[in-house]
Amino acid sequence: MIEHLSAEQISQWMVGDRTPQLEHHVERCAACRGELAQIESTISQFRTAMRDPANLTPAPEWREPAPSAAWLTWPRLALAATALAALLALPVSWRVRAHEQALREETARAAQADAQLLESVDAEISQAVPEPMQPLVTLATWNSSSVSQNQKAH
Amino acid sequence: MATAVASSRELDDFESVVRLYWPKVFRFALASLRDRFAAESLAQDCFLRAYRARDRFRGEASVATWLMQIAVNLVRDRARDRRWQFWKRARQTAVDATDAAVSIRDHGASPEESAAIKQQLQAVWEATSNLSERQKTVFLLRFVEDMDLLEIAAATGLKEGTVKIHLFRAVQAIRERMAK
Repeated sequence: MIEHLSAEQISQWMVGDRTPQLEHHVERCAACRGELAQIESTISQFRTAMRDPANLTPAPEWREPAPSAAWLTWPRLALAATALAALLALPVSWRVRAHEQALREETARAAQADAQLLESVDAEISQAVPEPMQPLVTLATWNSSSVSQNQKAH
Repeated sequence: MATAVASSRELDDFESVVRLYWPKVFRFALASLRDRFAAESLAQDCFLRAYRARDRFRGEASVATWLMQIAVNLVRDRARDRRWQFWKRARQTAVDATDAAVSIRDHGASPEESAAIKQQLQAVWEATSNLSERQKTVFLLRFVEDMDLLEIAAATGLKEGTVKIHLFRAVQAIRERMAK
């Protein structure tokens, strides 16, 4: 048997959590019944005061909003903005790609030219006598061969 | 199913919807925001949003619960708005407890009884202002709008158990304030 309802049990009752034990006590205890009645009465008066038409602003006259405003919703605006941004970004993207392609071709051409130059330098370096001096070599070879011929003749 | 269709059809005559539910929405906004201009503006916004979203209403809840759901969201957004917090402190149009209690003066109570009732109402009004936003919402929906726990859960997006906890704490706080 509960002596009197605690503060928590009173709140529990007000929320609607009414166990058989609480109901049994309230039935028999005038003091607790009185306390609950006072709280319920105050809340009921609060409700009445809040619901009194004198405290309310009357409903305004309803006018349907303009249809143009109805389709101009945030999701649609966001969608349109995204589409516009994509449209603007497309030519830029194409230009960037074309520029990159041209750059790649230019690099390939330069690499080819470099390779050819290196090959020709290698070829020149691999010769024992530089090309401009080749006639001297021929002359020297010719001279030495004629000397040997003379010696044989003698 | 038949109830859902009936609820959806109710929205066809939106003028009647506004007339019927305006007091409920306005009252909740007024008790939450405590400012008549702000409450009126919020209630109008609530009906405008409901009108624009009426095609998406499936009738799972009643029109009243659906409208309260929109109103609860708007109040929550407003409560988080820092500019609103600033203007709320600065403005002088806020409603006080005597405004809410004014209508009970002539209901047959003696001056002494009337003064006592007014004092109690003042205590409830002040206590609700100190509640957290959720506790206040749940308390107003339960004890001013007479909504049951399931309807409150639908309007607030909270679980029924959570609604009960907020309500319990709100009642505790109000009882403590009334006892002072």
